[in-house]
Amino acid sequence: MAQTIQTIKQRKGILGALAAVAVAIGLYWSLAVAPPDAYQGDVQRIMYLHLPSILTAYLSYFLVFVGSAMYLWKRERRDDLLAHAAAELGVLFTALTIIEGSIWGKPTWGVWWTWDARLTLTAILLLIYTGYLMLRSLIDDENRAASAAAILGIIGFLDIPLIHMSVYWWRTLHQPPSILRPDKAPWENVHPAMLTALVISFVGFLLIYFYLLSLRYRVGEMRQEIKTLRLERGV
Amino acid sequence: MGAWGFVALAYGIVWSAIVMYWIFLKRRYRAAEAELSRLRSLEVSSDNVKK
Repeated sequence: MAQTIQTIKQRKGILGALAAVAVAIGLYWSLAVAPPDAYQGDVQRIMYLHLPSILTAYLSYFLVFVGSAMYLWKRERRDDLLAHAAAELGVLFTALTIIEGSIWGKPTWGVWWTWDARLTLTAILLLIYTGYLMLRSLIDDENRAASAAAILGIIGFLDIPLIHMSVYWWRTLHQPPSILRPDKAPWENVHPAMLTALVISFVGFLLIYFYLLSLRYRVGEMRQEIKTLRLERGV
Repeated sequence: MGAWGFVALAYGIVWSAIVMYWIFLKRRYRAAEAELSRLRSLEVSSDNVKK
């Protein structure tokens, strides 16, 4: 993983440029090429943001989970830096997912928010990782903060399978998945132009995510170096 | 608000938030970079004094 991060860091300029291109193509497909939904009309275009942003948030929390577990096991600072950077981005993408869902919900369900199982569990996910970031800033001892945050980062990840299964386990207003269905392949259930818009949009989100993650990780690394130099120099 | 109004609102908020976060991150990056080079130059100058 450390090698992957190193490669991403070295090529973040290329990554940023690729992300910008993918986002531009994604916007074009989402807003101009993909047809309107037969039932929801043009409002369904919000899904080209909603699905990629929640999948990006899940990926981010997976990295928090991996980084936290590795930190607790090996006690290497770089794993904690990765978990911290990924948690910050996870919070951003989860907040965006909730906002997009709310804007889509108003014209579709007639409400901005409802205490549906999936929505509530997603809000809990946001609260857990906001708590993770707050916890880190509240504990002065760096090692204790990293350990406590790692435990919370691992426990918080358990909310994701619950969110995914919530639409099967409880009667929810939120519809079951259209893409990640166990009984049908995505292309059997979604119009090809819609699926293409979704895939391009997701690629754009992923590229932006890794670009931002490489920047955020480097900020963490530099802060660590600053702390060490200040201690050495007594500045 | 019509359908396209909701779409514009969602896309506007999402991309503005991402761009704002990027700008915020770039500032933090530059600030950390400047502080690091300042501390490194202090290190070099104090080493020169020792010599």
